[in-house]
Amino acid sequence: MRTMLKSAVAALAGLVLATAAPASDWTPPGPVKLMIAFAAGGGADTQARLIAEDLEAKLGWSFIPEQVTGKGGMNLAMAIKDMPNDGSVIGMVVTETLGYNMRVADAGVTPDDFTAITTTAGFQMGVVSLASKGWTTFADVVEAAKSGEALRFGTMSPRLSDLAYLLGKANGVEFNIVQVKGGRAVMNGVNAGDMDLGFMAGIQGKGVAAGDLVNLASALSEPLKQTPEAPTFADLGVEFVADGYFTFIGPAGMPTEARDALAAAIAEAVSTEGMKSHGIIAKAFGGPAVIAGDELQALVAADFEAAGALLEAASE
Amino acid sequence: MGALDYIWLGIAAVFQGPELFSVAGVGISVTLVMILAGFLLGIVVGATPGLAGPMAMAISLPVLISIFGFTPDALLPVMGFLIGVMKGATIGGAVPAILFNTPGTPDAYMTTLDGHPMAQAGQAKKALKIAHVSSAAGDTFSDIVLILCAPFLAILVEAYLDLPEKTALLILSLAFIAAVIGGSVGKGIISMGLGLLAAYVATGEDFYPRLSLGSQTLAQGFPIATAILGVLILGEVFKSLEDLWRDHRSAGPRAEPGQSGDQALRWTDIRRIAPYIGRSAVIGTVIGALPGIGSTLAATLGYTAGSRRHARRRPGSTPFGKGAPEGIAATEAANSSVSGANLIPVLSLGIPGNAAAVFLILAAESIGGFNPGPSVFRFTADTVNPELVVAFGLFTAMMVANLLNWTIGGAFMRVVGVMIRVPKHILLPIVLTLTLTAIYVQEARISAMWFAIGFGILGYLMRRLGISHLPFVIAFILGGKLEDTARQAFAATGGDAWFLVTSPIAAVFMALAVAVVALSLRKPQEVKA
Repeated sequence: MRTMLKSAVAALAGLVLATAAPASDWTPPGPVKLMIAFAAGGGADTQARLIAEDLEAKLGWSFIPEQVTGKGGMNLAMAIKDMPNDGSVIGMVVTETLGYNMRVADAGVTPDDFTAITTTAGFQMGVVSLASKGWTTFADVVEAAKSGEALRFGTMSPRLSDLAYLLGKANGVEFNIVQVKGGRAVMNGVNAGDMDLGFMAGIQGKGVAAGDLVNLASALSEPLKQTPEAPTFADLGVEFVADGYFTFIGPAGMPTEARDALAAAIAEAVSTEGMKSHGIIAKAFGGPAVIAGDELQALVAADFEAAGALLEAASE
Repeated sequence: MGALDYIWLGIAAVFQGPELFSVAGVGISVTLVMILAGFLLGIVVGATPGLAGPMAMAISLPVLISIFGFTPDALLPVMGFLIGVMKGATIGGAVPAILFNTPGTPDAYMTTLDGHPMAQAGQAKKALKIAHVSSAAGDTFSDIVLILCAPFLAILVEAYLDLPEKTALLILSLAFIAAVIGGSVGKGIISMGLGLLAAYVATGEDFYPRLSLGSQTLAQGFPIATAILGVLILGEVFKSLEDLWRDHRSAGPRAEPGQSGDQALRWTDIRRIAPYIGRSAVIGTVIGALPGIGSTLAATLGYTAGSRRHARRRPGSTPFGKGAPEGIAATEAANSSVSGANLIPVLSLGIPGNAAAVFLILAAESIGGFNPGPSVFRFTADTVNPELVVAFGLFTAMMVANLLNWTIGGAFMRVVGVMIRVPKHILLPIVLTLTLTAIYVQEARISAMWFAIGFGILGYLMRRLGISHLPFVIAFILGGKLEDTARQAFAATGGDAWFLVTSPIAAVFMALAVAVVALSLRKPQEVKA
């Protein structure tokens, strides 16, 4: 019954998507304000701006990008909450913003106060160290830590810090967890020797390919695309994962028509060979990963609920 | 990728960057055009009393960013323009100082002492030429020192300084800046404290925006442009407007003294002033490399040192203060050689030393893709480090600006004397409007205007109370970095609360920070004795 229901929903969703694109007469009522929760010039910011460029070129819509950074996307969430919900204001955050961060911030909002539009790409979140450290698997890290070496573990969000703590705990070691701003800062820290290992969400691709960096583990529910042999968090005894996506959101109550038109347009840009945004997503974020509409709304709601369990586990 | 490859990539990034137009099939890169435009604007601004390089940089930065966007391609054109303004303003400041006895920029005050007497004696053109040669020479020397020193200093920092030491170094820098800028340590520390306080509103790691009093307007903190432009530019405009209102000075244009005699700059002249240029260039470069000590002090020290030498070696010739070409040379070489060396702490440590450097850091932070600091100078072997390419691109831009300075700077300088005739009561409202527009371009919300005006009033009060505003601005920029580094150092040492004193290097930095404040406190008593 459940599978049937699921496939029915999927078919329906497919139908909606299939019909949405050609039948969509919806166009933005004017220039779309695009809020970006990431620092200017980084990979995520570039992705958002390239998506806007692609849509401008393809559909003739116009976008006004604006940086609303800080507090793990919560600043953007609080700013977009009361904006017009007619599709003229959208924002790019990560699913973590509506999940863990919104839960911890306790700012009186829930994912229901927002319209989830679509995801664009997932994180290839790995635990990474310099190849020159001589570690080839995560077991080597555990061994080094057990031999008394104080290891610094770089993270870029409180949720990841919790995960790093649980990863150490599950393996009987304790890391000195250093939280910095953004994946690039982790990579710079690891490169400069300020940190011994750290989370990187795709930025490590080039360095791993060149042999300078090593993916020691996948922080996802599945193996990393680049290093499938690296163990996952489940293999290492951690029951939580760092799965997450870049996602577009709007204020609550956005008309379904507007939401689906935006989602379809964004999804097409990031999935189409030759589009600028597809290029960067393929290069830096392991390819497009599109989850849209109600399914995404359900996903962020579930993340928000699940955040409590992670918090509890990490504070034990 | 060796060092030479990087240097070559940096040069190529300037010359072969996106081209604006082509002349006879040769593409002219937009960066080159921007350097030239910035340089010419800088001379004009420097020559206009009441305006200064930082003002032009502040107003043009948001406009340039909205033109060039937030892509890494925007870094070199925008920063090239700012470097052009910085260098242009330095030589432009000498023009009204010599012609009208009114320094265009504060650091050109000493130039009036000998420049104006020379102009009155009918030697204005020659005085301008001497100022130009000395300024260009000092500037070029300083840039060469920067290019040679910054990478090595950065590599040393990266190799020997860990997170606790970096935290201690930031504290030392702030202590040094608070202690040496302005006349009073207490006022310097107040200014720095206010800057840190403003920087800490709504920042930090917690999801709750601290110090925001529950207000959504404050939840994103003070936008960096409002705080810096407010205190630096609006504060100055408010003060000048009040001065204008009080004085009712009919600052009518003064007559240019009649000119006569041999105006050419001969080889013997250059030989005569060369030792003064050399000595002042070294003084200016050393002063410039220390964060926070501005070009005005460098000019004063250069002039004093030159004056002593002059009295000893050439007792027969025109003494300093009566129209000695050596006096102009000593001043201009010293104040110009600050600008390049000032970027040593910027590029190797990410610590700005003066207002011009503040805007270069601001440009890098707003555009993204370039984080001034030791991580820039990582000579990676297999992959290209784009930040290092930008760094060498900046060095190239500085050298291009120097080349412009040597070639067309002198001629252009001699025609901007008219800027003295721009009346202040027209100029100041224009600056005010442009500044507010520039802030709005960057921070498209009306609350940013209120923040800017609020910071402008703060800047005005600080000027009226004799509190230097520069520690505020630098502390505002470094506040976030200080907190981040301190938090990271604390976490990295496994939660050791004494991380600032357990490592020997950090302990030395902390001791120096205390010492520099303590010694500055003692200074007035020494003067009495």
